[in-house]
Amino acid sequence: MSDEHTASIPKTEKSNVEVRHDRRNERLTWLIDHFKREWQIYVMLAPAIIWFLLFLYKPMYGLQIAFKDYSIFRGIDGSPWVGWEHFGTLFGSDQFVRAVWNTIKISALNLLFGFPAPIILALMFNEILNATFKKTAQTIVYLPHFISSVIIAGIVITAFSPSAGIVNTIIGWFGFEPIYFLTKPEWFRPIFIGTGIWQEAGFGSIVFLAAIAGVNPSLYESAVVDGANRWQMMWKITIPSIMPTILIMLIIRIGNIMEVSFELIILLYQPATYATADVVNTFIYRQGIQGGQYDIAAAAGLFNAVVAFVLVMTANSISKRFSRTSLW
Amino acid sequence: MSGVSIESVFKRYGAVQVVHGVDLTVEEKEFVVLVGPSGCGKSTTLRMIAGLEEISDGEIAIDGRVVNRIAPKDRDVAMVFQNYALYPHLNVAENMAFGLRIRRMPKDEVKKQITEVAEILGLTEYLERRPADLSGGQRQRVAMGRAIVRHPKVFLFDEPLSNLDAKLRTQMRAEIRRLHNRLGVTSVYVTHDQVEAMTLADRIVVMNDGNIEQVGTPMELFNNPVNTFVAGFLGSPPMNQIQGTLTDQGAQIGGHELRILGAASGQTGRDVVVGIRPEHISLEAGPETSPLPIALDLVEPLGSEALLHGSFGDTPMVLKVDTHGDVAHLSGVSEIHVPADLVYLFDAETGGAIRGQAN
Repeated sequence: MSDEHTASIPKTEKSNVEVRHDRRNERLTWLIDHFKREWQIYVMLAPAIIWFLLFLYKPMYGLQIAFKDYSIFRGIDGSPWVGWEHFGTLFGSDQFVRAVWNTIKISALNLLFGFPAPIILALMFNEILNATFKKTAQTIVYLPHFISSVIIAGIVITAFSPSAGIVNTIIGWFGFEPIYFLTKPEWFRPIFIGTGIWQEAGFGSIVFLAAIAGVNPSLYESAVVDGANRWQMMWKITIPSIMPTILIMLIIRIGNIMEVSFELIILLYQPATYATADVVNTFIYRQGIQGGQYDIAAAAGLFNAVVAFVLVMTANSISKRFSRTSLW
Repeated sequence: MSGVSIESVFKRYGAVQVVHGVDLTVEEKEFVVLVGPSGCGKSTTLRMIAGLEEISDGEIAIDGRVVNRIAPKDRDVAMVFQNYALYPHLNVAENMAFGLRIRRMPKDEVKKQITEVAEILGLTEYLERRPADLSGGQRQRVAMGRAIVRHPKVFLFDEPLSNLDAKLRTQMRAEIRRLHNRLGVTSVYVTHDQVEAMTLADRIVVMNDGNIEQVGTPMELFNNPVNTFVAGFLGSPPMNQIQGTLTDQGAQIGGHELRILGAASGQTGRDVVVGIRPEHISLEAGPETSPLPIALDLVEPLGSEALLHGSFGDTPMVLKVDTHGDVAHLSGVSEIHVPADLVYLFDAETGGAIRGQAN
């Protein structure tokens, strides 16, 4: 009976292993065909992939020194493991904790004032009707982006100089004493944030201007016929229409929250302002490059990266949940 | 009266003039369709009525009030756009309420208006949906709803059905006409589709190259086109137009004598364009018909009717005939018959009508 039953199963029916094997072969054939057909796309993609591998993934191998007592003479592999010791050292250091807080405070202020600035600028440009004036204004605000941070810092230092700076000259006109802005910790953050806005808001507005240019003009015409004024159109059409772009830029910005403009801080800060100006990146620079403590610096860098990763993941999922807009 | 009056209206963009002195009066409650090919100035004219384009010269009055310098919002018009112009971030109810909220209408009143209009348009169950979640036809209804809730003096439609598929377009066309019959609001409708124009309009305005070619009821324009342009634009397929010369009995075309009843007498030898509508051509000889040879190259069956494409000499010709359930016999057609009373004549030089359809 049993034999009869077995004999009744059709020979064509394949075992699970055979089915999996066939599927794998099918996928492989499809992949080979796909590469043959679309190879030009992959050739174009190759430089970017190589760049990522060489400059972002390969250095990750070195991250292990955050957990090692690293010596340049013994090399990465030859240095002994020390576990979480460097992280313990870091969090036990007042300087590092201060740098973390400074990074958070500067980033939060930057997000508060620096993030809306290019949006506001783009909205303002959008309202300018005279084409010549619009182009001139745009060129003027884009320019600082193309100037080296060293020169920008030079301009800021000169502008706030207590002896010849324009700011103190104006203060002097009102009969006040000159202020040594760049040596006072309480002035560092406003100056740094203001400089950042001046340097990058214009260029940053391009993304939002492009988003505004993509808004269907009929929406405005319809609103005009409905009786909306320019202010109402900005609030009820332009801003909601560019909201997906704003959210994407916000997520990217949050991902970079720990990466405050390192160059500008290095150029503007001094020991007198470390209390408010020293951030994680400048701490890493001083410890790692200047102090030769590469392992501690790597631990601080890894901490930075993990925080940024968590932040960007959180921001992305919040945005995805509430606005249907996300990076991935 | 809430009509629209357009007097000698010009539109220029720099040195380029696109509308050349248009004159038109749209009566109260009338449904007028501006029709013409792309670039003929019909949308520009509509946008000038809406106030979205400035008038270079002339005068536009709505409800007896000159509106040349009046902002669109104060003209008391509502416009339905080709791509619906729905706000993607607002749901159906909010889209419809937009204009009312801008005008600071009390919330209760807004809600009442929207409920009423949604009921009329069959949108009640979609009020909470966003435009992205609606079909093309539903979006079009929302766009109309947004216009209706405002209770304007004039509706302006800018090719509102051109983004819909053929079936939906036919359906929406009927809905628009029913809605007009129900609401009775003066409407100006722009389209390039002559079928839409014929089916919707109380009066059609045919525009070409920034000028009005003819204004009249659909049947007036169909039966008595003032020139070859109007004759060729209205009717599907368009009227066949053949060069010829007037004779005592009719016209000489391509070496053949075509009998025409009531052909203008005393003009023998005048160069003309002979117009024959595809549906007027017969395959069988009648008492008052003239035979013409045709070289057939394509038969397009449409069901009860078929389109026969061919040529008479060098002139392409189309005829529409009944199939009687079979198209096989049509491929052998080599002769057609033109009724003497259904031939149009136009001046060969100016294109102006010499005579329309004999009645």
